[in-house]
Amino acid sequence: MNTVLLSTLCFGAALVLQPMARLDPVAHMLLQYPVLGVSGYLLGLKMPTAPDLRGPLLVLGITCVGFWMLPRSLDAALDSPGMHLAKLVTLPLLAGLPLGMSVPRVGAVLRGFLKAQSLSMLGVLSFLYSHAPIRICNSYLIEDQQRLGAGFLWLAGGLSLLWAVPLFLGHSLMPDLLLQRKKHHDLC
Amino acid sequence: MSRAGAYTLTAVVVAATGLYAATDGLRALTAEAARRVQIQETRPAVPPFVVEGLQGRRHALRPDSNQVVMVEFIYTTCPTICQTAGGDFAALRDRAVDRGLPVRMLSVSFDPAADGLSELRDYADRHGADGDVWSVARLRPADLQDALRFFRVKAVPDGWGGYQHNAAVLLIDPDGLLVAAYDTGDFDRILAHVEQLS
Amino acid sequence: MRTLSQIPDNAAQQSATKTAAVIKLSIGLSGVVFLLMMIFGLIMRAAQAGWVDLDNALFYQLLTAHGAGMVGTATFSGAAIMWYFLARHVALNATVYIAFLGLFLLGVVLVLGSIFIGGFGGAWNFLFPLPALSGGIWEVGAAVAFCLGYISIGVGFLLYYLEVGYKIARAYGGLLGGLGWRFVWHGDVSRAPPPTVIAAASVTIFNSIGIIFGAIVLVATIVNLLFPEFAIDALMAKNAILFFGHVFINASIYMAVTAVYEVIPEYTGKPWKVSRVFVIAWAVVVIFVQGVYFHHLLQDVNMPKWSMVVGQVMSYGSSVVLIAVTVYSTAVYLKGAAIKWDLSLRLLVLGVIGWGVGTIPAFIDGMVAVNKIMHNTMWVPGHFHTYLLLGEVAMAFGFAAWLVRGRAIRETSALDRFAFGAYVAGGGGFVLMFLWSGASSIPRRWAVHYAQWQLQSQLATVFATVVVLATALLVAGYLRGLLRRGTEQ
Repeated sequence: MNTVLLSTLCFGAALVLQPMARLDPVAHMLLQYPVLGVSGYLLGLKMPTAPDLRGPLLVLGITCVGFWMLPRSLDAALDSPGMHLAKLVTLPLLAGLPLGMSVPRVGAVLRGFLKAQSLSMLGVLSFLYSHAPIRICNSYLIEDQQRLGAGFLWLAGGLSLLWAVPLFLGHSLMPDLLLQRKKHHDLC
Repeated sequence: MSRAGAYTLTAVVVAATGLYAATDGLRALTAEAARRVQIQETRPAVPPFVVEGLQGRRHALRPDSNQVVMVEFIYTTCPTICQTAGGDFAALRDRAVDRGLPVRMLSVSFDPAADGLSELRDYADRHGADGDVWSVARLRPADLQDALRFFRVKAVPDGWGGYQHNAAVLLIDPDGLLVAAYDTGDFDRILAHVEQLS
Repeated sequence: MRTLSQIPDNAAQQSATKTAAVIKLSIGLSGVVFLLMMIFGLIMRAAQAGWVDLDNALFYQLLTAHGAGMVGTATFSGAAIMWYFLARHVALNATVYIAFLGLFLLGVVLVLGSIFIGGFGGAWNFLFPLPALSGGIWEVGAAVAFCLGYISIGVGFLLYYLEVGYKIARAYGGLLGGLGWRFVWHGDVSRAPPPTVIAAASVTIFNSIGIIFGAIVLVATIVNLLFPEFAIDALMAKNAILFFGHVFINASIYMAVTAVYEVIPEYTGKPWKVSRVFVIAWAVVVIFVQGVYFHHLLQDVNMPKWSMVVGQVMSYGSSVVLIAVTVYSTAVYLKGAAIKWDLSLRLLVLGVIGWGVGTIPAFIDGMVAVNKIMHNTMWVPGHFHTYLLLGEVAMAFGFAAWLVRGRAIRETSALDRFAFGAYVAGGGGFVLMFLWSGASSIPRRWAVHYAQWQLQSQLATVFATVVVLATALLVAGYLRGLLRRGTEQ
């Protein structure tokens, strides 16, 4: 029940953020996108998943995120009501939900790999948005685009701290450990 | 291969196909690139928009002649990109004239509220748009929204009284079809295309 | 603490056999690729000597292949060595290593294809905007394939380090535990993790960071190649590439040195002890190796001044402590012990010495004043060939010889003694020619040399021939050893 409530709150927050998202790409991509994703992710955590489907779900979620990260999708979501609606539906249901159903249940090495990849992808985006000599989005000012580039870098920095600190200290590894040990025996 | 592996591989293939389609075959990641690819592929017929010229006379955006028309959208108080675009357009005019290409050029203001006839004349004088090959005009407020939508021009207020907008040179062929959009400085490709059309 | 002994014997046995088999395969592949890349190097030196008529485009293809191939193989062989020995301390999953091997080989195919089929000759460091501006020598597709090859190799290494990092974190209470830093201040240092674990934890940390930066600049380069409107900032790209490149090639030696920690005790009968200084030395490496890359950009005038200072200072400090500790410890362990000097031990000790000696020219080049004059000369290949050819590669062949050594340590055979002597003499002469050329301001990376530059190249060609022959003997000896041990079992 709590999960559903929290998920609804996230979705509501995304709707409230819409006027801001129209003006500011940082609010659009780094606030509205994530809360939409989280609203689905939370539901996904509670869904039962057949082990065989984890791979395809992971691919689906990553692809959907990738699609909405394309600069043209960002523009399209603002210019076309159909795409706006599609964003509100697919980011929770085709990105957050499948990721919630798969990411926490895959092996530790794969999960670490996904984390490292998302850090480097954020770096790539930061690189492109902060240094592109052209406007990447027709809907936003070039200054805001550069701010978004910096935002990606801050996000990458924050996430790398969030993920690296437990690895260094070895505390929150305990749940992983239990999951891993079972898997490990299957593989050997 | 395991069942999970087969499912995942299938998903990867489907996902790659989807992303390939969503980027017009890996050609366009941005809305501007998509606009250019799609204009070249769909070649839409230009509706009969009417613009207001330097003398206040109204005429069709596309003159009724069998000439290629190059159009760019501007606003005259622009301190940056339109001045560059204006300079590019002047250079383009000179090269087209040198090569003897039969072409009409039109700079159209998308800000008729701020761009009065005197502002348009200033802009024309500044860049030497003498009306012979290249003229300057503004959209009528009634046509404004339709024209911006048709040409996919997007102007975002920059907070300083101006706009940032997707400047481009748009080509209209002698049959009145919108056939291409180029960077304003991409002279060689623009002129090659004009030559091929005329 | 979880060690192999806690896993059921049968599973441990199976896993160990599997690991040993893939490591032997990896080392065999490394040896063959080292030999091939040395032949490429020999051809380039012969062309610079004016003895071989080589098409310029082909020279740059060979240069690209030699650089990418040697860096890749050095790090790959280092990774094989470290995996082998780390598996003595934590239970590593051999499947991850096989995935690493597969991705590495895929990357090699892509890189070689991009060079010899696609004609890519933009050098190992694919500096922006060279890959996009070939002047018609190669197509965009070749540059993209090259970058994809690197990405595949990077992804393989990332998997490798994730497995290593997770297992160390689990067994030693986080990566920080694996580094053993808490023993620096207090506590009984004899309870610190073994040297191999400390080395593995250190390399995992800095090379994972390096690979992430490499992935960033590689993907950005691919985007730029396919969509030129996405320009990238050239200076930022150079920073990212050299950070990644510096860290990655350093990792090769820092992984290979685990062979010294694990094998030399078999000869001395004394285990390699972890001291407080040892822990500190590795701590210095983890931190400094990431700041030292600025010395690659000392000639970029628009880099901030502090980066030059950091580059120079860290060049002094980054590896000195560890090398000093390793060289000193090696000497102390070997001194006085009644030791049979077989091929493996000779090569490992050569590796330690070459590594130490190689830092001297590196120091010199790391000084801003010298770098201004020397950076684009043969001095630079001189310094890195010293600690790769006489350092990392020697350690890798030492490990290879140890793998096929048999249980009893035998005195070096005449053939092995000849191979070793030729390797040392040829290698030493070869790197000296680079350093001499550099001191004479002969530029590096040039396909065609003036006549007055050719003497050094001609001598280097002779030395390189000797190295190639010695390496061929070492590789042949390893393969013969594998076959012999295969039939023994």
